[in-house]
This record gives sequence, structure tokens and C-alpha cells, in this order.
Amino acid sequence: MSDRHGGRLAIEPQFVRMPRNWGRQTSLFQWRQPAFWLYAVIVVVTALYTISQQQLFQKLSPSGWALSWGLLLLYGLPLFLAIYLLDLYEREPISLVLGALVWGGVAATVLAGIANEGWGLVVARLGGPVFAAEWTAALTAPFVEETVKVAGVILIYLIARDEMDDMMDGFVYGAMVGLGFTLVEDVFYFIAIFGGSPGGVLAGFYVRVVSSGFYGHVLYTGVAFGKRLAVALGLFVAAVAAHFLWNSPFLNFFPSSVDTFGDWVRIPFAAAVKGAPLLLFVIVMVRLAHRRERMWLETALRSEVDTPWLSEVELRVLLEPSARRRSRREMRARAGEAAERLLKRLQKEQVNLAMVRTRVASDDDPQLVRQRALSASLRDALLSMPGAALAGTRREG
Amino acid sequence: MSVEADPVPLPAPPLRHRRWIPVAALAVVLAAVTSGGYLTADALGEVRGGAVAVNGSVRVTPFPGWELAGRLTDPDRIRLTSGSTSLDVAALPFDGTDVDLLRRYVDNILEPDAEQFRVSEEVEPVRLASGLTGSRIAYVGLFGDVQAPIEGEVTAVVSPTGQGVIFDGWAPAGQLQFEIDEIDAMIERAEIA
Repeated sequence: MSDRHGGRLAIEPQFVRMPRNWGRQTSLFQWRQPAFWLYAVIVVVTALYTISQQQLFQKLSPSGWALSWGLLLLYGLPLFLAIYLLDLYEREPISLVLGALVWGGVAATVLAGIANEGWGLVVARLGGPVFAAEWTAALTAPFVEETVKVAGVILIYLIARDEMDDMMDGFVYGAMVGLGFTLVEDVFYFIAIFGGSPGGVLAGFYVRVVSSGFYGHVLYTGVAFGKRLAVALGLFVAAVAAHFLWNSPFLNFFPSSVDTFGDWVRIPFAAAVKGAPLLLFVIVMVRLAHRRERMWLETALRSEVDTPWLSEVELRVLLEPSARRRSRREMRARAGEAAERLLKRLQKEQVNLAMVRTRVASDDDPQLVRQRALSASLRDALLSMPGAALAGTRREG
Repeated sequence: MSVEADPVPLPAPPLRHRRWIPVAALAVVLAAVTSGGYLTADALGEVRGGAVAVNGSVRVTPFPGWELAGRLTDPDRIRLTSGSTSLDVAALPFDGTDVDLLRRYVDNILEPDAEQFRVSEEVEPVRLASGLTGSRIAYVGLFGDVQAPIEGEVTAVVSPTGQGVIFDGWAPAGQLQFEIDEIDAMIERAEIA
């Protein structure tokens, strides 16, 4: 049995063998999960329509279409990374994250297009064509689009339940669905509404991305998922309400025409009036989720401190993402790239140790023992590298 | 002696079966959201058969799902609607070509009422089932107090007897693509004396 208070481990680093699936994250491709097959069928069928629509746009305005995607990649890639890196302690599997993005861009946009049209008929039948022209967007899109987008998050959850531990995970997958949706929808707007010429695309980019890019589908679907039913319903209603406000004539300070410089300046302010409340709500939610994750990590690892696999200083570093990055930079300067990579791996396994700690019932559970051994062996390997030892992290003995 | 045994609870379904339940429920929700609007609209609306007369010389047969939403005079005109998409048809005597009629409609009717108005650069020739020919353009703009942009397609036809007809199919931006085929079919089958 390993000594938790300073003795060297009998297991050498190269002999630490983890269970076959250990350290792997769940992939999107769960062939035995019915949810995966529903996801796959819907995405494949809707992709046929999406491809034909993009081909049509490309044919209508080749330069406008290319410019649209170029501009949207400039906006989408940093946003993708920001969302992906938002979960400070546990990055989501990339295949699931991309799966969420594809659901939003392909399945949700097509299903929403079909459904919006049908429910638009209902609004028109009940309210008449003039009422429909003004209110259809507010009365159909929020309900329809939020439903089909959050369905993608639920499918991801059903495919890989273990990956969605808390609200932060739900936010990451929801925001990815929203990002995919907004990218494809923006291309549609740039070509079909703003005319598709390079000037029209740039105007559309200013209105929909520069002025309104912080609000919209990324936020709506980001907040629309929770694991507890009451929380999930409450958040879904909040997302629908925010979307309704955006689409409705309420609080509409957008200029009716854009003729002067002042009109262009007014657009972002008008967008902020409608979108800022939800943005603030999301910022508060994310901060609370981060605080909860930090508390969870500290609680899980507190009993593991002052052991061969974790020191008090290392725990303090683990709890602060900025301190983790700083420690790796310092390690690189002091001991080189290999030491930096090893420290990164050690930190990741120490976070994994926290997850195992919360999952297992007994203190000598084989999984927990293996994870401790892995962390300790990585730590040994790191400390044996010239220049890698840190004050406060060197083990005694 | 009879022994009354406690009821034996039914075993839970195998895990493999239970995994289908939420997936099936989700599939039902998605099907309801995507098709529910059409089913509800069908239940609410009535599909009228037969042609609708615009005036004594022009008749349009609404496609299934379209209905007469309004009628005005001077000039004689009707509005057919499928809900979110509308087709306005106006009939008036006209001494000129279909391109002239099209230009006059755009300049005098559409453009003065619109903001951020854009028209397609090319005029597309069209041929009706009756053999009459016409011209067509597409447009997009903000009209009146309606917040959403409107996109539309205007077709002008002038018969040899001097009967000018304007077909203006329009919808909130993004909606027209779903019903443009039905609009074109109604125009193609229009009866113009």
C-alpha cells in the first residue's frame, strides 16, 4: 500500500498502467446508443438541404458567399475557443463539442426553417397577414428555434451522460449549438437579406456580428440547459423570453433606415438594449459556475494534500487557472518544453484525481489508488528533471 | 389451505430498452415542432377551390392552402395569402410593354413606400400557360412600420388587349423561398383575357 505521507511509491513511472479506457473521454460515436442514431439520421438528412442551400448562395454571389464565410470564421473561431476553454478544469471531448456545433449549424437551422414556416401559417391564420408580418418572428422563432437547438444538447447528453457533469458543461454544449446556428443563419442573412454583394455582406456583418454578436443564439442556447428538470425548464423559459424580446417590436430603438453616420452608431446601442440583460445574466451564471467548480475541486482534493501526489502549493496553483498557466510558463523557462508538457499532464491528472475522488466510495478504491499512483509517478518524473523542482512542491524522502 | 402470496413487482425493463424511451420522446417532440404548425394551420384554415376574379378579365386560381384575404378597387386588386406569404394581384388597363408596367409599379408603388429598397439587376422573362409573356424582378426592403424586412417577386404581364396585370408575391425575409414555387405556379396558370 502506498504511503500517503511522504514515502516513495513502489511503482515506477513506466510501470503505471491504467485501465484500458482510463483517461479517454467519451466520443460522439457511441454506436450502441439510440441517441447517437437519432442524431446521425437527422444530421445526415438535414445536411443534404444545407449543402444545396450553400451551393445556391455560392452560385448567386460567389464573392459575397466567400466573404461571408471568411468574416464569420474570423468571428466564429475565437468564439469557439472562448467557449471551449470556458470550462477551466475539464475540457469537453472535441468530437462532442463539434457534434454540438454541427447540430446547431445543420440540423437546427433546417428544422427551424421548416417549423417556423408552419407555425407562421398558424399566426397568420389567427392574426391575419399584416399582424403576421410584424409578429411572426417573435411568436414562432423563440419557441421553435430554442426547442430544436436544445434538443441537440439533450441528444449530446443522452449520447454521453458522463460528460455533462454540471451547468458549465451544459453551457459549453449549448453555446456550441448556438454558435453553429448563428454562423449558418448569418450567411443566409448576408446573402438573402443584405443582398450578397461585398458591400451588403459587410453591412450585414456590422449589423449582425459587430453590433449584435455578443447577444443571440450563443447565449440563448447556452443558458437553456440544466440537469434538474425545474432548473432546465426555468432556463429554457429565460432563453425563449430573451429571444422573444429580441424578435419583438418591444424596446426597438433600431433606426428605421440607415442614412447617416449617426444611424450606424445607433445600431449597436439598440442591440445592447435588447441583448445586454441576457449577457449580464450569463456572465453572472458563468462566474457562479466557476466558483462552484473551484469549491468542488478544493473540497475533492483537500484530503489528498501533503501526499506524494499533491502538495499544498500545487493545490493552490490548480485552483487558479491563471496560476496554472503561469506555473507552466515558469517551468518552461526554467527546465524546458519537455518539463512544461509534463507539468501540464501532471496538473491534468491531479484534476482527474479530484473527479475520481468524488466518484468512488472508499479511500482505497482501486481507481483512486491507480490515479494517485499515476499522479505521483508523473510528479517524480518531473522533479527528476534538471531545474524542474519548485520550492514547496519537492517531496521529502 | 390457501396462501396469499405478495404481489411480485414487475421487473424493470432492461437497460437497453430504457435507453430508447428518452430518445423516442425527443423524436416525438421534434416531429411535433416541425410538423405541428402545418397540421394546426390546416385545422384552422379552409382551402378554397375555384378561381378568384380580380376583375372581369383576370382570374387567379389559389393553390391549395391559399385563400382570399382581401379585395380593393381602383385599380382592382386582390390579396391571396397562405399565412406568412401573400400574393397581391392588380389588374388595370395599360398601354405599354410589360417592362414598362413593371418599372412603373416599382417606381410608383414599391419604392416610395420602402426603405433600404433593393431590386434585382436582371429582369427575368416569364411565359404563362396561356402563352402570354411577362417580366419579373425580385426585391427586398423595409415597408411601412413593419419591422421585419420584406422580400418579394413582382411579375408584370400585359395582354394584347391592353389588360395589364401585376403579381406581387411577398413575405417576411426568409419565408418566400418556401412558397415561391406555389406563387409562380399560380401566376403561370392565371387567366388573362
